[in-house]
Parts: sequence; structure tokens; C-alpha cells
Amino acid sequence: MITTKGITKIYNPNKIAVHALNGVDVTIAAGEFTAIVGPSGSGKTTLLNIIGGLDRPTDGEVKIGPTNIAELNDNQLIDFRKENIGFVFQAYNLIPVLTAKENVEFVMLLQGRSKTERDERVHELLQAVGLEEKINKRPAELSGGQQQRVAVARALAPKPKFILADEPTANLDSKSTANLLDLMLELNQKENVTFIFSTHDQRVIDRARRVITLVDGKIASDVTKA
Amino acid sequence: MIPLMAWRNTWRNPTRSWVVIIAIAMGIWAAMFMTGFATGMSRSYIENAIQNLLSHVQLHHPEYLKNKSVAYYIPNLEQVQNDLQNDENVKAFTTRSLVNGMIASGNYTSGVMIRGIDPEQEKTVTTISDKLIDGSYFETKKKNPVLISKKLAKKLKAKLRSKLVLTFQDLEGTITAGAFRVVGIFESGNGPFDEGNVFVKRSDINRLLIPKSDSTLVNNAVAHEVAIMLHDTEQMDAFTTQVSNKKTELKVENYRELAPDLQLYESQIQNVSLIYLVIIMLALVFGIINTMLMAVLERVKELGMLMAIGMNKGKVFFMIVFETLMLSLIGAPLGLLLGSLTIQYLGSQGLDLSAFSNSLQMYGLSEQVYFDLEPVVYYQVPIAIIITTLIAAIYPALKAIRLRPIEAIRKI
Repeated sequence: MITTKGITKIYNPNKIAVHALNGVDVTIAAGEFTAIVGPSGSGKTTLLNIIGGLDRPTDGEVKIGPTNIAELNDNQLIDFRKENIGFVFQAYNLIPVLTAKENVEFVMLLQGRSKTERDERVHELLQAVGLEEKINKRPAELSGGQQQRVAVARALAPKPKFILADEPTANLDSKSTANLLDLMLELNQKENVTFIFSTHDQRVIDRARRVITLVDGKIASDVTKA
Repeated sequence: MIPLMAWRNTWRNPTRSWVVIIAIAMGIWAAMFMTGFATGMSRSYIENAIQNLLSHVQLHHPEYLKNKSVAYYIPNLEQVQNDLQNDENVKAFTTRSLVNGMIASGNYTSGVMIRGIDPEQEKTVTTISDKLIDGSYFETKKKNPVLISKKLAKKLKAKLRSKLVLTFQDLEGTITAGAFRVVGIFESGNGPFDEGNVFVKRSDINRLLIPKSDSTLVNNAVAHEVAIMLHDTEQMDAFTTQVSNKKTELKVENYRELAPDLQLYESQIQNVSLIYLVIIMLALVFGIINTMLMAVLERVKELGMLMAIGMNKGKVFFMIVFETLMLSLIGAPLGLLLGSLTIQYLGSQGLDLSAFSNSLQMYGLSEQVYFDLEPVVYYQVPIAIIITTLIAAIYPALKAIRLRPIEAIRKI
């Protein structure tokens, strides 16, 4: 369960203050497939960064389970992200010097998981994303869609509580987008992992089960589809 | 995984990595070359001094070295010679009569040290017999032969068979003189030595030193110096102590005590090596910092992403340090290999500096420098490189861990 209470974020508070978020209260339950949408500058990326522990709110609290992550220091936050959050980035998402297999097992390695466990999970996930034959390929040898699928596998590998994905389909063609969404939905159901997207992409919005719309740093609407 | 990533990161930009690796290798090579040259030069200076004159150990009358008076010759010389003959540490020894005097030709007069030597014995201790460039080494039946240097010959305007007059005080303090004929001209390679020393037979100089009125002294009993070469220089200090204890009536000194400048030279070899190392390493530090800083700054987003997905700051720091270390772990062996081959080659063939022979001779140095390295340098250099690399890695690594993931990747 992710709960935010009265989240505000003000950039440049001492100069020309920019209010990115103005008291955002949101609760996201385990297993949700949620899209955060809104026009540019509406605060969706800021909200995602704060939920992911990459940025700190100016005010308010972010609870992931029982932990208020706003109270953690930098190193505690890194450890918290490693254990609880999976990230799928829009770009620069894979480690270029590692193969698909090594990228997927990277966070598990940081967690100190055994080789057997890592190997099993890597094969399971690469098979799930349909890239088992590309196991030893480096990112430069994969297409954009394939890279994003490896990124999803990597985000899922350490079995995080939820996955944050920032416009994961922004650089993909229609076919790759459809494939990736199918894959994420399947994994969401199979592994019961919470997916939270920030997106402009109508194809993603259409597939999301809950859509939170931000306007000027506030929640304008929060719709859960039947 | 971190070392593997560091290794692969090193080769992301092979040209840049090779430039640093070659710089490290060349730095090590330069440090070894300069140290090898300095060591070779120092050794050559020391060996020249030992072989031309000093030998390993010398015995004198305790008062002789204070005022160089001919009256202070070695007491019980025969006994000393017998003892040295029976000492297994002694490779060879020779006796010398040393007299300060004047040498004069028809054109010029000069103050010199007249060295009365036993020609055959002297050959076993010093190399003066090999330094003849004209004439012969006392292989003459003529009376009173003398060897002078090329430099002195030029000043005296003397040549082979020229007659020169040596003037000095005898054992009673009376001025005496003798006519000597030039039978050989030498060039030792040590300018100041050549200008200030002549060689005659000890029996000839003793004949003039011992007053005719003194019937108690036989010719062979007078010598002011015994020069000893040992089989093993490692034993030099022990031998010096042992003879000192046994022959309390003599002053026993090794070459370091006789010529403190040589000891200074020897002790400075390692310091010189350290100074070269420090200068070269300082230059390397900035080169490495520059390269690694570039490597960090062009990967800001990637490093941010690594921290975002859970790689802690310690691991990021270690990865950058490891990447830097990789460069020196490749460069150091290359430099060591190159340096060793150079030292080996120039150690056996020598570096010909004959173009600067005049200046070198002024300082008693050889024209041919045979490179040499203390074994300690072979591990001093890699250790210095590793320390340098670690120091150079600190700033780029700190820069990397100070990145905030959010600023590094701008957005997730």
C-alpha cells in the first residue's frame, strides 16, 4: 500500500518558487495497474519521483507500507529502493556494459541473492518477456522494444512491492507498445506486482485500470475502471 | 559484478584508456630510466674511485691522514703484509709510499701526490695499468721511471722519455729531489685525479725518502698506505672492525670513511629514485584525474540510474576506483617490462656519453654509463603507481557519489 498525505513540492523556494505539487493525497493498493496522466508541468513526474524515493517532498508524507520514506537518509533510501521498488525508465534504462542476463540479475546481486536463485529468476523472466535467446546480448545489440522488455524483467527480478514506469512506451512503435503493455499486464496479474505509470500515451491510458489525472499539481480526477 | 563492470567500463572508450595506460607505462619507464641512469652514474663514480685509487679498505699510520707527513709510515709493515696474505677475506692488497711533492719539467712545475707503488701488486688492486694510453707500465730497466697523466703531460709539455724532477721532503724533513723519466702516460677518466697524481716505483721513492744516514730502515719497510681489495664487499664493515681491533696501532678505514662523498652518493641513490618517482607520479595524478573525471561526467545519467535502482554510494565509489586501478594494473606491468628491458640492455651495453667526456672527467665520471637499479625500485615503482592511482581516483569517485539520482537522470 502506497499512501501520500498532503504532498507538496516547491522548486526554488527562495527564488522564483515553482509549485509542482500542491497537497496530493493518494492511496495505491497492492496489485493496481495505475496511470498518472496530465499535461506537461502538471506534476506527474514529480509525484512519481517522490513516490519512488528519488526526490523529497517539501511537505507531507509518503508511506510505503509502514515506512515514511521522507524520513530516510540518502543511503537508507537507496537500500529501500533496492528492496521495494522497480524502475522502468524512458531512456538510459539498461547498463550498457552488461548483457541482458547480467542486467536482469543486477539488482538481485546487490541484494545478495544466491547464484541459483538469480539464474532461475533470470531465465524465468527473460522467457516471460520473450527474450531468452537474447540472454547474452548487450543493450546495443537489442532493439528499443527489446531493451524496454529487458528493463521490465530487471524491474521485476528482485520481486519489488511496486514498479514505477515513466513513459515506458514513449520511444516505442505501436507493435512494441502493445507487446510491452500485454507483458506488463500479464506480469501484474501473474506476480501481483503494482504498476504505476506516468504517461501521455493514450494506448497506456486505455489499458490502465485506474487513471489519476493531475492538473497544476493537484489531483483533478481519479477514475477506477470497472 | 562490480569488478566486471569496472573492467568493461574501462574499455568503453579504448583510445582514451590506452592513452592513460601508455602514460602510466611511460611514467614507470621514465622513472626506471632516470633512476637507472642515476644509479649507474653513481656506481660508476664509486667504482672508478675504488678501482683507481681507494680500494675497499686502507690502512695508515693513525697520524698520517691528519697531516700527510711522510714520517708517519706504517709500523711493522712486514707483519701487516703477512697477516693480510693469510686472511681469506682479502682478494689482493698493495703497499704504497705517498709523498706530497713538486714535479717539474723545463717548462712548468706542479704540486702532485707522488705514489710509490709496487707495480705488480698494484695491478691486482687498481686498474691504473689498464689506463695507459702511451708507453708501458714500468716494463723498463731504466732507473726511476714515472707514469704521468695525459693532462699533466700537456701542462708539463712532457712526453715519453722526458726527464722530470720530483722534489719532496725525506723522512728527516730534508728537501730532496730525484730525476725521473716518463715511461708511460695514462688517462684514468677522472680529471682531478689525473692532474694531481704521478706513479713511481715504491723502491725508487723509498731510496730517496730514507736518509742515507739511517742504516736501521730497509727500503721495503717504508709504506704509508696499504690498499686492500676484498672478495666480498658485503664483508667490508666486518673486516674493517676485525682489523681495527687486531691492529690498534693502525687506522683502518673503508672507502666510505675515506671518501665521505662516496657514501653520500650511495645513500642518495634511493632518494634520487624517490624524487624522480614523486615528480612523475604527480604528473600522472593529474592525467588520471582528468581522464576519470571525463569518464564520470559523460556517464552522469547512467550513474544516477545505478543509484536509483539500488546501487549504494560505496559500490559506486568502489567501481570508479576499480576502473582507475584497472588502467594502472595494465600500465604498470607494461612500464615495468619496458623499463626492465631498457635497464638490462643499457646495463650490459652502457650508454655512450663520450660527447660529454670533458665535463664528465672533471667530475670523475665515466664516458660509458652502465645502468643499474636497486632491486627495491622494482617494487617501489608499482606500489607508487597503485598509491598514485588510488589518490587520483578519489576526486572522480567522490564526484560520482555526490550525484543525486534525481538530478542525474532528471526524471525516472
